[in-house]
Amino acid sequence: MSDKTNETHELVLTRLMNAPRAKVYECWTNEEHIVKWFAPKPWTTPFAKLDVRPGGTQQFTMRSPEGVDYPNSGVYLEVIPNEKLVWTDAYTSAWVPSAKPFFTAILTFADEGGKTRYTATARHWRVEDLEAHVKMGFHEGWGQCATQLEELAATL
Amino acid sequence: LPDDPLSTTFAALADPTRRAILARLSKGEASVNDLAAPFKMSLPAVSKHLKVLERAGLITRGREAQWRPCKLKPEPMKQATDWLEEYRKYWEESFDRLEAYLEELQKEDEK
Repeated sequence: MSDKTNETHELVLTRLMNAPRAKVYECWTNEEHIVKWFAPKPWTTPFAKLDVRPGGTQQFTMRSPEGVDYPNSGVYLEVIPNEKLVWTDAYTSAWVPSAKPFFTAILTFADEGGKTRYTATARHWRVEDLEAHVKMGFHEGWGQCATQLEELAATL
Repeated sequence: LPDDPLSTTFAALADPTRRAILARLSKGEASVNDLAAPFKMSLPAVSKHLKVLERAGLITRGREAQWRPCKLKPEPMKQATDWLEEYRKYWEESFDRLEAYLEELQKEDEK
């Protein structure tokens, strides 16, 4: 695993996954799969609805250990099957602006020596937003803010 | 400027000129003139950036009237990077979960 921060408002992570490209892509685009790995335990993802096409809505519900549900939604901007997924939380559905655009996630999947090079980039509107979200997530524990962090984690 | 130190640090870092100034200072002390040289920018404009960096505690400036060398103070930067590191760790865990799940899927396929 290697990673870097190109700019203070961008975070990039990449990893060579020991699985075919189509499979890694499927984990992101198939509702049955995504609910299995998306949430960090003890959180769960009881609901996911993924309309995987440009302009399609990506919806998740995250459930806290206390049983409180936090719905999230975003919109796919670019979809190249088995290759690339771009989505943003700037819209809640096409093209309804969200209360506060925070980031755009760019996921790429590429063949590399029989494995899959999986790269996730999160570009944030403002570095202050990134900082604020990180801070809320880590210093006030899980809560309303954690769902935003979940959305971020979802870029991975 | 926001009150808490980390926010101040990030706000100060959110500018390419200021990051370039910090990069220059990581190689040693410099005067305002030295720091202004690579930029198409007036001295007062550079001074303004220096003030932001100084208020964020990222640099200190000598007190001599003529030659007020700027010096890097790495502590706030360290706090900021530690923090980003924590954030990144959170992301990496998501990679771990996906990887573990993929492994599970592959095992099922082999059956």
